[in-house]
Amino acid sequence: MPMSVKTFAQVDEAARALAASRSARYLGGGTLIMRAVNYGDQSFDTIIRTTDPRLKQIAQQGDMLVIGAGITMSEVIANRETAFLAPVARTVGGPAIRNMATVGGNLFAASPYGDFTAALLALDARVVPAGGQPISLDEFLNARERNAGLVIVSVQIPRLRDVNAFRYVKVSRVKPKGIAVMSIAAVLPMQAGRLANARVAYGAMGPRPLRALAVERALEGRSLDEAGIAQALAVATEGVDPPSDPIASDWYRRQIAPVHLKRLLLGQRR
Amino acid sequence: MIEFRKEYFADERDDNLNEIGKPTQRQDMLGHVTGRSPYFDDHLFDGLLHLKCLRSPHHHARIRSVDTSEAERMPGVKKVIRARDVPLNLNTLLSLMDFGLDDEPMLADKKVCYVGEPVVAVVAETERACFDAIAKIRVDYEVLPHVLDVEEAIKPGAPSVNPTYPTNTFLYHEKYDHQKLRFGDVEAALRQADHVVEGRYQMSPIEQAPTETCGAIAAPETNNRFVVYTSTQALFFSLGTAAKMLKVSSNRLHFIGGTVGGGFGGKVDSIHEPMAILGCMLTGKPVRYAWDREEEMQVGAPRGAERWYITDGVMNDGRIIARKFIGYFDSGAYTRLSSYAIIKGTGHLPGPYTIPNVSSDVYCVFTNRTPATAMRGFGITGVDFSIEAHMDKVASKIGMNPIELRILNSYRDGDMKAHRRLAKNTALIECCQVVAEKAKWKIGSEYKAMSSLKGGGGERALIPAHTAIDQKGMVRGSGTSSFGYQPQPYVPSTPTFPSTPAFPSVPAYTPAASSSPAPGAPERRPAENAPTPSSTYNPTPSQPATPVEQRPAVNRFSSISGLRRR
Repeated sequence: MPMSVKTFAQVDEAARALAASRSARYLGGGTLIMRAVNYGDQSFDTIIRTTDPRLKQIAQQGDMLVIGAGITMSEVIANRETAFLAPVARTVGGPAIRNMATVGGNLFAASPYGDFTAALLALDARVVPAGGQPISLDEFLNARERNAGLVIVSVQIPRLRDVNAFRYVKVSRVKPKGIAVMSIAAVLPMQAGRLANARVAYGAMGPRPLRALAVERALEGRSLDEAGIAQALAVATEGVDPPSDPIASDWYRRQIAPVHLKRLLLGQRR
Repeated sequence: MIEFRKEYFADERDDNLNEIGKPTQRQDMLGHVTGRSPYFDDHLFDGLLHLKCLRSPHHHARIRSVDTSEAERMPGVKKVIRARDVPLNLNTLLSLMDFGLDDEPMLADKKVCYVGEPVVAVVAETERACFDAIAKIRVDYEVLPHVLDVEEAIKPGAPSVNPTYPTNTFLYHEKYDHQKLRFGDVEAALRQADHVVEGRYQMSPIEQAPTETCGAIAAPETNNRFVVYTSTQALFFSLGTAAKMLKVSSNRLHFIGGTVGGGFGGKVDSIHEPMAILGCMLTGKPVRYAWDREEEMQVGAPRGAERWYITDGVMNDGRIIARKFIGYFDSGAYTRLSSYAIIKGTGHLPGPYTIPNVSSDVYCVFTNRTPATAMRGFGITGVDFSIEAHMDKVASKIGMNPIELRILNSYRDGDMKAHRRLAKNTALIECCQVVAEKAKWKIGSEYKAMSSLKGGGGERALIPAHTAIDQKGMVRGSGTSSFGYQPQPYVPSTPTFPSTPAFPSVPAYTPAASSSPAPGAPERRPAENAPTPSSTYNPTPSQPATPVEQRPAVNRFSSISGLRRR
């Protein structure tokens, strides 16, 4: 069956067209969907895309940083507003991939992809679907399969009081851009030398990016030193469900998670 | 930074040669760095058709039926190619050198033996149309038990992978289920040794992963010829293979190659050219057959897995007096080049050391895995890793400096190697000395004073007076039938092919039914009975039913490879 491409000027039209068809897929940057096309994927015959400029905006709105879903990793790196996310974007693929891969597409990328989404999860981001209300990224990811029919317009990131509170590491065999063994993103706000409301998220440690809730609880009120993080390291793999894939086994990912979490929390360079 | 140690072997070397020892620019470098080198895929034709294969999803399955009727009616589909459309649907690459039996079909007919084995080929106007048509082909498989481990595969009762070699082992020298090397008496020496050190080593398959995936474009040319642009690393192998499988004279095939976008051994198998030409013959149009990345990784033949068992007999002073190898090469489902790799590897044993008693049994084993082929130094790499890991183990066991152990046992100029060639231009001692120096690893002054040029030859140049030989692994029926060779070998100069295939579709080898554990099951003389010839087999070489002298006068592979009996 020949492939058809439908381009809409408005994201809402694209969303309606996607909802109306069972054999359509929405194209963000195309790094995943075009690979499926090239390999003759029989599950869809229509590609829907939009040229809506709303998807290409980066803006501060009140206490929120809004990043359009069509913003590419290269644009994240180039833009001043998103500079704190540049180290994350830099770990997504090589230059050709980064020129195509989008923030919106990364939300749907199956494990072990989706490192950028893990960072957004730690940052307590919300996603804004076309024609709908913002929903928390936790909620969105928990029902990602059901949300596959959504077209995302943008993500909203609450303003960080202290940009240095955000930390991220991607563990990969090819550095920096290889497929993730795992990635860890954390927001570690300090109050009087104690952690308060820390958020920690993993990539490639489950079917989708996930919060390390046990780690977050264990860090509450603690200091960022060996003794303070000991309990967090002990529960580092609680609730994870790592894949066994050509990059690493479930066992290996579980073994290394506390090691990399420790380095991240203590700011140890490798 | 390269450092030349010119003080070594200065009198054996002429430093005033025009090319050797001088930096030379690769002839294709300018084209590569300017992006102008023409690869096979740069040769596009009007009306180019594409070819894609339906591949087996199973490790091992019988093909009950194939229904291509819906696929044939799909828009853009020009031809659906089945096994019966291939003029000669059984081949082995080294048949061009009369080594091994034809065992691999271009398209599977009765059964599939590995995941990704091609079953049906579709030629269509676009790759997309190929994929869409393939999705409509219905294959009814009867899944069979499979075997993925070399040692499991040669146990009695294991699933028989390759119909040409029903016992899952390549047949060496028309006689044995393994390649033998015998030098001195290993078992006797092991009994005299102060220490016996055993080790087991293995290496996984390695994919060559070229940037340019394998492929070819074939197009009709004037004078009833076909022009073929190909990524092959072995142009004349590919030409000969295509001529044989398509039953056309090689002078009708105009092969153009020479620019390879990365090969590393993965582009010698000549899979694409015959298929692309066949598509071209059946449609009259230019046809491109190229692997996508997934096919390159899953179906492209890798360096095969190897498993080695090494047993050393070592004296307290560090001299290794015996070394025994048992090796298993995982050939995958078909032969390709593992059979040859074993011959090459056996010539290398026992590594760069002079050991007076050496024996080796190496098995080329068929399993339900992707066929394995060439890759940079194949046949040597795995066993060298094993040998050097084992040297460290020996050093640790007897409490000796591992570099001194290597120097002590190094081969030297004039020593007899286990394959009965004198060693020359040896340099292991000097390498060890420099490595020790660079790694700041202390070695004794006596070891620093040793040289590859001194202490070799003499007694060490002699072939042992007694070499223990045995008939273990003799295959029943070998030497008395055509199992071990092809009665009418392919002769490349023959201008036209006979109308009937010159190759038996089923090898003449038939296991003796009376003593078989199960119908069609492997028939192998058990190792424990090895010294006693069985009543049904007469190993006396003077009485084969088909005398060696009456065989067709062709180049035996063993003479080409330099391993002829001397």
